[in-house]
Amino acid sequence: MPRWGMVIDLAKCTACQACTVACQTENNVPCVPPKEAARGRIISWISVLPQIEGEYPRLSMRPTPLPCVHCDNPPCIRVCPVQATAINPEGVVRQIYARCIGCRYCTNACPYTRRMFNWYKPEFPGEFTEALNPDVSVRPKGVVEKCTLCHHRLQKARDEARAAKRELAEGDYVPACVEICPAGAMYFGDLEDHNSTVAALARSRRAFKPLEELGTHPKVIYLAQGEWSGGDGQGPRT
Amino acid sequence: MFMLEKAMIGSRRYWGWLAFLLVLIALGGVCYLRQLRYGLIVTGLSRDVTWGLYIAQFTFFVGVAASAVMVVLPYYLHDVRQFQKITILGELLAVSSVTMCMLFILVDMGQPARVLNVLRYPTLHSLMFWDMVSLGGYLALNAVISVVMLSAERNGVPAPRWIKPVAILSIPWAVSIHTVTAFLYSGLPGRTFWLTAILAPRFLASAFASGPALLILLCLLLRRLTSFDAGQEAIRKLGVIVAYAMSISVFFVLLELFTVFYSRIPEEMEHFRFLFVGLEGQRHLVPWMWSSVAAASVALVLLLVPRLRERDTVLAAASVLVFVSLWIEKGLGLIVGGFVPSPLGSVTRYSPTAPEWTIVLGVWAIGALMITVFYKITVSVREVR
Repeated sequence: MPRWGMVIDLAKCTACQACTVACQTENNVPCVPPKEAARGRIISWISVLPQIEGEYPRLSMRPTPLPCVHCDNPPCIRVCPVQATAINPEGVVRQIYARCIGCRYCTNACPYTRRMFNWYKPEFPGEFTEALNPDVSVRPKGVVEKCTLCHHRLQKARDEARAAKRELAEGDYVPACVEICPAGAMYFGDLEDHNSTVAALARSRRAFKPLEELGTHPKVIYLAQGEWSGGDGQGPRT
Repeated sequence: MFMLEKAMIGSRRYWGWLAFLLVLIALGGVCYLRQLRYGLIVTGLSRDVTWGLYIAQFTFFVGVAASAVMVVLPYYLHDVRQFQKITILGELLAVSSVTMCMLFILVDMGQPARVLNVLRYPTLHSLMFWDMVSLGGYLALNAVISVVMLSAERNGVPAPRWIKPVAILSIPWAVSIHTVTAFLYSGLPGRTFWLTAILAPRFLASAFASGPALLILLCLLLRRLTSFDAGQEAIRKLGVIVAYAMSISVFFVLLELFTVFYSRIPEEMEHFRFLFVGLEGQRHLVPWMWSSVAAASVALVLLLVPRLRERDTVLAAASVLVFVSLWIEKGLGLIVGGFVPSPLGSVTRYSPTAPEWTIVLGVWAIGALMITVFYKITVSVREVR
């Protein structure tokens, strides 16, 4: 049984936001007009957060792409009163939109704030309707949604592998954000498979897990920036 | 049925008041229909502050429901005879406030039509399920007790013997509603403001102050407007209860402040900074919180000096101050303060919108309507006798 996980190399991330846009189109995440965006109603399953360290003038900005980290011990599942969210045997934390009552308890339990509530009926103006991904359902208003690690892609990849009578190979199934990353900063695969790229990177000395101290056991793992990349706010060393 | 016919006869003032409440309820209803249609976009809530006024009001009114236990406990366990006439008032106030709590939860839901999913998929590891069990049970207990007691009183017969164990069961049950409501918040990793074991004791203490405080005001109001007199001794005893509970409540808050500010752990302190001095330019809750502090301080002085407390006007003023202070602390600061800053450090402004306030006002009006009708029935039953 695979355990899907992601490794994000912060030294490579250029904060180009391609992952955010790819996720948006892949998963039918609605565009939020500027007025509502200003009021904090943005839905984005993955966000590039500007982690700011230090104080002016000695500060550094570390762009950090943050999707749902698919905890092995997810606080969101514990609190849901209707079991509308569950972790599957492969470690993917999913949401049942048709059952969610919209109480937003999971949103508050998630220390990564990666659960998004639909404050209103999602709008897809004009041509956006044509561009909707038929593999992913459009959510109604009043429910919580979140990153699924592009689960529909896994189903597709499995079907294709089965049709070709072979096992699912590394690289067959990759979420949209990882696929698009032009800097090659994101890796995806089976953490259980000792030989996979993600498993190897997860063993790196630069590897750390976000908010690890909370005991959530996230499966999104970061690789810290090296000193050369300006992490101390002084710019590159010469 | 349920002696409702007694609520149908009343003065013009009574009917005027009911009409006024019905107008407020209608206004709230209109806004709620809007919210049903467009979604929670009509509120001031956002990604970082996902619970606001609705849930805060729910939290506060769970506390007000303690009005029942604070008269039932002395009456049944300590034989405080003076409370005999007012146990029913406390229980009926509890019925109304628990109903308000449930309505506040309902209006906060994104998909209210699916509320019964909580019963279809009972989830023992979710505190929200347990909150439903404890609130529903408390509502049922108090409804049964008050209907049975009042019917007995109307018929001039002693209450059935089985009602006493039911009333005694309602005492630990009352403790459970405050504890479970506190547990809703205090078990979330990353929400440091709520992640504290003192939250449940704080909820109990503030509940035992705010519930009886409102009961005092209602008793004084009944004495002025109707023939019903709760009795000077009963009101004084309630005053003593509020004095103790409010002191303990303030003490618990100070304990929390000590832990946070002596340890100087930044993420612990920031929530209090946001509430009391403002954070990153967001200061809109600061005047509210200091008003709460001022109200609590004045109330404590008025309550702790026996000579002051024993005067009705002073006790009434102190009760208003206690109620307002705790409303701000629990019904505003405690919930919003827990969201700012977010676990990832963002500071977001939350201000309730006009439709949001109107819906809240509508739910308050429903509570006030229930109380008016319930007390009207009670007073009529007693006038006949």
